[in-house]
Amino acid sequence: MGGVPPGSFALLLHGAAVSLLLAAVAIAGGTVFAIALATLAFSRLAVVRAVYGLYVYVVRGTPLLVLALLVFYALPALDLRTGPYIAGTLVLVLYVGALFAEVFRGGVLAIPRPQWESARSLGLPPFAKFRKVIAPLVTRYTLPPYVNVCVMTVKASSVLSIISVWELTLAAREIIERTFAVFTILGMAAALYFVMCFGLDRLGRRLERHLLRRGFVGERA
Amino acid sequence: MTFARWIAIYGPTYVTGLGWTAMTALGAALGAIGWGCVLLLLRLSGPGPARAVDAYVQLFRNTPVLLPIYLLYFGLPLVGLPWPAVICGGLALVLQNGAYVAEILRGGLKAIDRVQFDAARSIGLSPWNTFRKVLLPQVLVYSIPSLGNQVVLLVKDTSLLSAITVTELTMQAKLLTEQTGAAYEAFVVVALLYLLLVSATEITFRAAHRAVRWH
Repeated sequence: MGGVPPGSFALLLHGAAVSLLLAAVAIAGGTVFAIALATLAFSRLAVVRAVYGLYVYVVRGTPLLVLALLVFYALPALDLRTGPYIAGTLVLVLYVGALFAEVFRGGVLAIPRPQWESARSLGLPPFAKFRKVIAPLVTRYTLPPYVNVCVMTVKASSVLSIISVWELTLAAREIIERTFAVFTILGMAAALYFVMCFGLDRLGRRLERHLLRRGFVGERA
Repeated sequence: MTFARWIAIYGPTYVTGLGWTAMTALGAALGAIGWGCVLLLLRLSGPGPARAVDAYVQLFRNTPVLLPIYLLYFGLPLVGLPWPAVICGGLALVLQNGAYVAEILRGGLKAIDRVQFDAARSIGLSPWNTFRKVLLPQVLVYSIPSLGNQVVLLVKDTSLLSAITVTELTMQAKLLTEQTGAAYEAFVVVALLYLLLVSATEITFRAAHRAVRWH
């Protein structure tokens, strides 16, 4: 079964920090990308709406690993000098962007009619309408599914280990292949992922309660 | 090389990969739904088992599926079970997706009227028969759309088995890319094949939903 080499946990902890960083960048980038993407879904032009539909269909119907390998092998072919970190982060942003966009689209669809009508009758310009009406309401409606996708992002970042992005899963795999301390190392890795994902979930619920107390979040959408 | 020529030369490779992916996904999906039903039964059988099932579900929902895959692939040989990689990987998918299926079925359980429990008891059905003949069939029918979503995720997750040497679609594409030096052709075709599989899964579940809808 092999002994656990000293310093394994520190190595895994370092990997977990990288995983968290990858997820944080993907969540931030994915959210910005998703806002742009979701506006396509409400375009007046059928072609633009179709582009949105196709993008979401392709991203949701293809494994993250296949997209990651595609970008990993295709980017050097475009003669851009990028390591797996750039390719991996890019893919993660593109991937979770589609998931966030679907969440936001659902939130916009949940905005009741009178809100749209009053925004129009106030004569709000488009940007003010987005900032004062759409963004607050969508935030209110979509907080729980948004947090779900955030948790999913942390878990999805593990897939990048296969394109040699060094993070928690790859750190664990490297130690296992050297030492065969399979159960201990994977147990530790699972515990670290659990703390990150479960912690994120609890943080989301806490935020929801906090906003609820301030009268911001209504009933769960 | 033109796309048509690429398909003509490497078509059989893709067919092999598609076969492995489809077989693994089908086996793991059936296994996961079965395991989810067992977890549901355990959850209903008392507060102790219900807490154990909750802990199991939380653990698997908050860890990536690659961990159980590696656990079984690297761990089973150490305990004297040198099973083929595809069995280890398939089993890992069953364990992970079974947790999600158990949650889905629990949601479906809420849709069933409490009166049915009393009705089942008053006609003398044992708890086991109540579960098997009254609860489970209804819960499964209510859960068809959500189960369909879960199976779609499972189909995509079979791609992770390429990390443990299973020669499914993603692995074939990787091998082709490394053999031919082509940058992306192999993966574009594989992406299309996954879209096909996912769409077929969605259509199947939608048809099943329509076929058994009685309300």
